[in-house]
Amino acid sequence: MSRRDFSERDIHMALDGELPGDERTAYEAWLEANAEMKAKSARYAADREALRTAFNGVLDEPVPVRLSKVVLGEAPVVRVSPSRSRWWLAAAAAAILAIGGAGGYLAGIGRLGLENTAEDQLAEEAIAAHVIYAAETRHAVEVPASDKDHLQSWLSNQVGLKLVAPDLAAQGFQLVGGRLLPAGQGKAAMLLYEDVKGERISLFVTAESAAKAKGTYGEDDGPEAVYWLDKGYGCAVVGSLPREQLAAVAKSAYGQLLAGLQS
Amino acid sequence: MDEKKAAILGEIPRLRRYARSLLRDRDSADDLVQDCLERALVRLDNWQTGESPRRWLFTIMHHLFIDQMRKVNRRGEAAMLPLETSEAQAAPAEQVESIASREIVDALQAISPDRRAALVMVAIEGFSYAEAANILGVPAGTLMSRIARGRDELRALLDDTARRRSIRIVEK
Repeated sequence: MSRRDFSERDIHMALDGELPGDERTAYEAWLEANAEMKAKSARYAADREALRTAFNGVLDEPVPVRLSKVVLGEAPVVRVSPSRSRWWLAAAAAAILAIGGAGGYLAGIGRLGLENTAEDQLAEEAIAAHVIYAAETRHAVEVPASDKDHLQSWLSNQVGLKLVAPDLAAQGFQLVGGRLLPAGQGKAAMLLYEDVKGERISLFVTAESAAKAKGTYGEDDGPEAVYWLDKGYGCAVVGSLPREQLAAVAKSAYGQLLAGLQS
Repeated sequence: MDEKKAAILGEIPRLRRYARSLLRDRDSADDLVQDCLERALVRLDNWQTGESPRRWLFTIMHHLFIDQMRKVNRRGEAAMLPLETSEAQAAPAEQVESIASREIVDALQAISPDRRAALVMVAIEGFSYAEAANILGVPAGTLMSRIARGRDELRALLDDTARRRSIRIVEK
């Protein structure tokens, strides 16, 4: 049986049936030994039941005729854009009322300290930096690639890591340059690369991290970040490339960065 | 009736439940389902044989929902909402809800649309992480963090409501 450290993440996975079967026993034992986590798991499970109870009744309601008519073709299908129905106004109103009506719902969240995990924060900062600077033509970087030696030593000193700009020529990307950015409580180095078509990707490196994680992060139509965090450094590669291509570039960049850090 | 249409008809109850959890108000939710069905029928040819009708329809509906929520945010249309609509919202029609249901439905509406959709997709609709990530068009890591934060936020809101209620009782 696999032995590993469980975390809050596993509570969600267990609840959603995503925990591998062979980890289940170890997970249950971990839960038994952690009163706080066990209570949390019980609350989440109860909330899920309440959610299901609240909405299950909809399944038993008769289907409104106007909906079945659409499918059966008894009403002409003329509208493909949701311009006529204004359901989204109701959605926005509901959200505002829920916030305003309960007065301080959001303040409540703030007080209870819902915070991003380290990896989400790194990925979000890296994406934000990419969105701002990769779109810049004249001011994308502070130090250009032509001054690479200075760029590397300056960023290394500022960030507190031995930084070597990866060579991504094999993936079709050339270094444009870099800049220094704030990240969390500290600083981050951003290195910008470009291919012949003008497609840009960026590397975001910070010395601020205690967590160990790796993964992919992105919103539906924005750039994605592939990130790695380990003790003492965090790195994210951001771009709008097809997922496999971004993963390949990220892997190469990460391997070289890591070799540089340890050299 | 052809098979595709029969399959779509069969999914309407599930689509309505998903829409209701996203939007709360019954008529608005059915408007969203109607938009989804109309779009689906226009694109019937895009539906690959063998692809689950549920996944296909949920994907269409989710995109409609998220696109419109984005536009609302961008244009700030909510700020110009006529009063009667918001009043109608405040008192949902003819729905018999227990207090617990009402509280959790309210709290669900207060969390961000992205997190609400992710949580509902998995917790109510019973999709796997892989299916839900596919429908929502986000990487699995993003889906997981939305679910985790959504649950956290929902619980925080419910704790807050409970705290308020107990304060009110004390004040009486």
